[in-house]
Order: sequence, then structure tokens, then C-alpha cells
Amino acid sequence: MSLSPHAAALLSEYRQKQDELKQLSQLVYDRLRQKLIEQGLELNALECRVKTEQSLAGKLERKGDKYQELTDITDLVGLRVVTFYTDDVDKVAAIVKHIFNVDWKNSIDKRKTHELTSFGYLSLHYICYLRKEQVNDNDTAALADIPFEIQMRTALQHVWSAIEHDIGYKGGTVKLPAEYRRQFSRLAGMLELADDEFSRLRITMTEYRRQVKSLVKSGHLDELLLSTDSFRNFLDLHPFSKLNQRIAAVNQAELFPASHMSFLPLLESYGLETLGDVQKFIADNTEDAYQLALSWLAVTDLDILTDTIALQNLCLVCSIKRGEGLAGVERVYNVAYGYSENNEIVARTIMDLAKGLPFYK
Amino acid sequence: MEQTMKTTFKEENNSLVMYFEGRLDTAAAVQTERDMAVLNNANGKDVILDCTNLSYISSSGLRLFLGLLKTVKPKGSHVYITGMNEDLRQVFTMTGFTNLFEFK
Repeated sequence: MSLSPHAAALLSEYRQKQDELKQLSQLVYDRLRQKLIEQGLELNALECRVKTEQSLAGKLERKGDKYQELTDITDLVGLRVVTFYTDDVDKVAAIVKHIFNVDWKNSIDKRKTHELTSFGYLSLHYICYLRKEQVNDNDTAALADIPFEIQMRTALQHVWSAIEHDIGYKGGTVKLPAEYRRQFSRLAGMLELADDEFSRLRITMTEYRRQVKSLVKSGHLDELLLSTDSFRNFLDLHPFSKLNQRIAAVNQAELFPASHMSFLPLLESYGLETLGDVQKFIADNTEDAYQLALSWLAVTDLDILTDTIALQNLCLVCSIKRGEGLAGVERVYNVAYGYSENNEIVARTIMDLAKGLPFYK
Repeated sequence: MEQTMKTTFKEENNSLVMYFEGRLDTAAAVQTERDMAVLNNANGKDVILDCTNLSYISSSGLRLFLGLLKTVKPKGSHVYITGMNEDLRQVFTMTGFTNLFEFK
């Protein structure tokens, strides 16, 4: 590699500033990460790096004369924020603007600079500086003069960029025939469309969840199809609380919270289609579920239970009433808690107890 | 004669392992809680509760296991239970605690 004396001097300065660059990289990463967490943004990735010597040398060899000073190279420290949704790219950008000084002259929104008739690399790059107040001690004061680059993109844009880089679409020595360029453009267009559709879907889902919540709250349970979302909202009404308390009272037991979601497939398998059906299922089986729980709890000294105890016994009773027998009871445990050889033994115990109860046919 | 409770702590394959032997009832829970304190510093390492020789667990014992879970899980540790006999397993299943722990 042959560098001009000026480029070699810049490279030497870079070597001397290694510690500062690492310090800046960590500082920026920590600040941005903290703020993104505070704002509740879910990310696909947040990465940071200090440009490697090899990469910088390559850049200086290609266009070293373009840079008067080392700080003219704006990506010595680089961060990449990869979001799941396009809307979140703008949100990240707003956060970046809020916490760092953005050098607008050198920043670029490739999403806007793209020609209207072409597709391809869509990303947002900000060149930033730390604010003076963020480096207010003597040890770190110099960091405020070093620029850093923050790239913001969606996961699909990131995939596009990685594939583009891998195939060598950009910057290759051979000019690609129009046919292949068209193929690239079509794929890029498809990814852009997918990105937009995912964003749209998220908005629709959020709206649906809001509607479900309000319908559950207002008691319109028959209108709500049984689903993960609707069932989760239904649980906010504590529909099993009464039976839980009644069962817990047998041994004055403490109730420990646990997830009810693993029981959802069982409810669906009983043909329950709406939350109204679930409410009826509870009403129809509550007394029998209590009797079943009572029959085994009363002979133990267990005074700690999970709050799925009501739902568990409701399902056991329902399976037995439906004539599913031992296999049905075992299935309740397999579905709710995962398969275990022991489930058959527990199921036999339950069946033996159930045989002495009025609901058993 | 009533079996007494005995615990043995070992570090094996980067995991913290506690072996339980005997009956973990209310009387044994106080000392067992002290013995299990060493597991609270798992700091992301897996914790294995070997119950191969545990013949009985009372609610007090369940509370100890739950307390451990609540302490170490937020710090990234997994709590595995191994070797439980049928009676113990039955207690875990019927109370719903099966879903809270991982079994090996």
C-alpha cells in the first residue's frame, strides 16, 4: 500500500488517537443505548466500532488528499442502529438529534436523495459531535471535537446493504448489465414495500389491540374472538381470581403468579371461540373444578400454589366431562406444562379422584 | 427414624450445583435456606438443584426454590431441577410450579 506523506501523517495521528477514539465510541454507545431503552424502542441491533487501521489506510490510499485533517474523516467512530420498522428509523433520528449535535452539512438522508425512479440503498446517516456538557472534564474535553457517524436503517435495509456488499453490486470493477441492475432494483423495491407493509401492519395491530382492550373493558366478550391478544386482555379482568381464592382457602395457601398463556391451546381445543365462550366455560365448570382441587389439596399441607390452579382444574374437569378420559387429563398437563412421562402418573391420580365426584360420568 | 436433611454444594462445568438429600420439610427449611444462600450469587451461571435423593418437599421447601428463582433469574441464571421422584414431580405439576422451573 502506498500512501502520500500527508496520508501517512494522518494515519500516524490516528494511531496516537486510538484510546480517545475507543473512549468516544464507548461514551456515544452508552448514551445512545440508555436513551433508546428509556424510550422503549425495540431494536434489531445496536453496534459500534472504531474504524480499523486497515480500513482507514485503504480509504487514505483512495482519497487521502481529500482530507486536510484527521477530523475531516467523519466515520472514525461509527454506530449503527438497526430497527425493525421504518417509522422507528425516524424516531431514532429524533433521539440522536436530541442528545448529540448533528453536523447537517455532512449528514445525509439517502432515503430522500434517491431518484424517484430507482430503488436501492436507503439509509439515514448523521455525522454528530458530543455536546460540550457531555465532556465537561479535562480528560474527555477533546472528544467533543471528534466527529462520529450514526447510521440508522431498518433490518430489511440492513439485509439489502449486506447482500449488495457481498455481491459487489456497488463499486465493482465490472459494470453490471442493465438486466442485472433491473433485478437488483426489483428486489430493493420489494424490500422497501415489505418494510412499509410491516409498519402498516404494526399500526393496524396496535389499533386492534386497543379495540380489544376497550371491548373487554366494556364487557362485550361475545364479540371478541379468542386469541393471544384478547385472552391476555381478558386476564386483566382476573376472571379466575374468585375460583383461585376459593381453592387457596382450602389450605390458607399463598398464590404465586404464573403465566396462563400456555392454557390457551387447551381452551381452543374445547371449541371456545370467543371470550364469551371462555366466560361460560368458567361458569359451567367452576363448582366441579373446586371439588376436584379440594379432593387432592385437602389431604396435603401445601400452602403455596400458582394462580393457574383455577384454570388448570377447570381444564381437567372440562376434559373429563367431555369423555376424554385419562388421555385427555394427561393432555392438559402436556399442553400446559410440556410433555413429561410423569404426567401420565399425575393424570391417573386425577382420574382416581374424579371418579368419586358428582360430575364424573 | 426421620431422615434428616443434608445439602452438598459443588461447582461443576461452570454451573452451581446443590445436592439435596432427605426431607425438605418446615423444620429443615431454616438450615437449608442458609445452605442455599451460596446459590444467590450465581451471576448468570446455571443453577442445578439435584433432587435425586430428596424424598419429600413441603411448602417451605417450594418457597426456598421460588425465592432462589426470583433472585437469580433476573441476573440471567437458569434454575434447573434434576432427579425429582414421582411424588415431588406430582407436587410441582398439581400446584402449577412446573411452568416456573426448568427440568433436566
